[in-house]
Amino acid sequence: MPYTAEAFQNEFLALGATEVNAIVTVEQSGAEGERRTAGATEIIIVDCSGSMQAEGRMAAARQAAKAAVNCIDDGVRFAIIAGVSTAQQLFPAPGQLAVATAETRAQAVGAIDRLQANGGTAMGAWLKLAGQLFAQRPGDIAHAILLTDGENGEYKGYLEGVLQELGGTFTCDCRGVGTNWTVSELRKIAAAMLGTVDIVARPQDLAAAFEQMMTAAMGKTSADVQLKVWTPVNATVRFVKQVEPQVADLTGKRVEDGPRAGRYPLGAWGAESRDYHICVDVTPGAAGDEMLAARVSVVEGDTVLAQTLVRAVWTEDAALSTRINRQVAHYTGQAELADAIQAGIEARKAGDDRTATLKFGRAAQLAHESGNKATEELLATVVEIEDAATGTVRLRRKVEAADEMALDTRSTKTVRVGRSS
Amino acid sequence: MSSRPDCPSCGDERAAGAAFCESCGKPLATGAGRAVGHDCPSCGAAGAVGDDGYCGTCGLLAARPRDHVEADAGPVAAAVTDRGRRHHRNEDAMWLAARGAELDVVVCDGVSSSFDPDVASEIAAEVTGKALITATAELPESIAAAIVAAGAAVAALATTGDPRRAASNPACTIVAACVRGTEIGYGWVGDSRGYWVPVEGDAVQLTEDDSWATHAISLGADPQSAWNDAKAHAITAWLGADAGTIRPRTGAFFAETPGHLVLCSDGLWNYLTEPAAFADTVRDALRGSASLLEAGRKLVDFANAAGGSDNITVALVPLNTLDS
Repeated sequence: MPYTAEAFQNEFLALGATEVNAIVTVEQSGAEGERRTAGATEIIIVDCSGSMQAEGRMAAARQAAKAAVNCIDDGVRFAIIAGVSTAQQLFPAPGQLAVATAETRAQAVGAIDRLQANGGTAMGAWLKLAGQLFAQRPGDIAHAILLTDGENGEYKGYLEGVLQELGGTFTCDCRGVGTNWTVSELRKIAAAMLGTVDIVARPQDLAAAFEQMMTAAMGKTSADVQLKVWTPVNATVRFVKQVEPQVADLTGKRVEDGPRAGRYPLGAWGAESRDYHICVDVTPGAAGDEMLAARVSVVEGDTVLAQTLVRAVWTEDAALSTRINRQVAHYTGQAELADAIQAGIEARKAGDDRTATLKFGRAAQLAHESGNKATEELLATVVEIEDAATGTVRLRRKVEAADEMALDTRSTKTVRVGRSS
Repeated sequence: MSSRPDCPSCGDERAAGAAFCESCGKPLATGAGRAVGHDCPSCGAAGAVGDDGYCGTCGLLAARPRDHVEADAGPVAAAVTDRGRRHHRNEDAMWLAARGAELDVVVCDGVSSSFDPDVASEIAAEVTGKALITATAELPESIAAAIVAAGAAVAALATTGDPRRAASNPACTIVAACVRGTEIGYGWVGDSRGYWVPVEGDAVQLTEDDSWATHAISLGADPQSAWNDAKAHAITAWLGADAGTIRPRTGAFFAETPGHLVLCSDGLWNYLTEPAAFADTVRDALRGSASLLEAGRKLVDFANAAGGSDNITVALVPLNTLDS
């Protein structure tokens, strides 16, 4: 497997310093005509609640589901779930998974035409059914697409319980159509299921979004890749965050693996590159001491695919210890950018314009400094950016709901170092 | 020795007596290998030092591969390099290759105030050593050419790799010697030294340091006070991008009597500035040792016992002795 892992850091610490930071880039080149090492299962979950009748959403959802089905490779297992107040399997027969062929894809397309919008929204139940179907194929690359247009109607806490139970068993990309759904709710699902969340404001854009998600899913070649982090005695991992292509905190997903080591799930991998920010607190050494602060391995089962070292070297030389590593600084800024946007949106909703202005101002500054143009443009739909360099912004009086939701869902999107001007 | 290990880096078969692989120039035995599986010197955890030299419990680095390296060509030659007690890494490097009646030996000492001096010394020793394998000219000429080539390689480091190298270019000293039968050629830049230590009689310091103290003494300064000056060890010539034209000084002689050619870095001779004292210490080490390697280790131990304030490298090559 052509995986590589590389750590970027300033290993030099001032005497007494205990915090070690590094950005670890994990890449799979996809050379040698990568083949999937496992089977693959795809499940498409389409919200069929009554509200889907509005604005031609149901017709667009049908078209999107068909487009996604047509992207499924031959031999991949798949199923379609119609989401109402309960989960109903639309295709194939209940409890079954179809094997993708030209014939089964055509049958699925026919079944999709039967999708009707009439019912409630029960995301917990939908995911639970998906989990049961995926459980038939342990070891597969398991991926689901969840489409909704509204808020969950299940009793409080049910969805959280389901996510607790299912977290890590499959990847789920979530898409909200229209503006009546809740960003925080879909983000919760995406975070637990290691997937993405985004808004598709206009129903006519759904088909392209589904195609893109399914194509990306078909590019995955490994089912369950994990980051194994070994740290020395008396050291603690402060956080492990994915920071590129988007910010996702993995710290809470740690599973202990032997003495002083833990595994963090990364989900399925294809020919792609992702960056992780690892922060470890260690006991300080004496001048000249060199410590292995973390041994970071990319693993699949018991196979180590790549490994890199995060080091700490204590020095009296302030010129060395105060040097700022570009990667660490950049991604620290990108994570702060996401936090600032989400805090700004919350403050704005709560009517705290002063805090919202401050947070959005800081976000505009960070987006500008780091060359994150996409986020800067999204910010400009919510605030008027008077001077990005100093973070001077004014709240717009009238903001389109779709614009604010787009800013919210895409606030975690980051850019790489070096793309900045 | 019944079988010689193949080079662990490139897998090439080891040439007779070569303590470095002649194909890739990497040392065949390194210090980290001696520490692997041993107790951690920092936290004491039993057998905790891992393959990469870090303790598997406390994470502290127990040994770098270059901390202590030994090159053993049996009765033909031996060389030992050691980190010493005060420096956090070994910036000295060495090369030792023996082919029948031919032997090449190089000692380099990285300039601590430069960036990546350990890289400078390593590449200088390697480039010089490799050039000497195929050298055909008169010895002083060949050695000078090899050192100039090493100088170019070290100078080139300033524009590659870490950008900090540009601000403070990697630099090192060098002393190299070739033995062809009884002829010994040598050359140097900086303050790493070569000595001829006969079994009996006065020792000869073959090299003259390119250093402030030597310069001051040659101009008539009192040797004692010159050596006690803070600038004493400031070198006046080195290999590196800021070194200007490299003009190695060279020499050659025929060894008519039994004795030892000794090359070393200032980590050893700093404790023995007078040739007579140096010779006594070398002879003591040789007399009490069963092998050249053991004598080399004793000289390193001597420097460490005296303070080990710098990296220590010493190479011993016997000529006309019963063993050789």
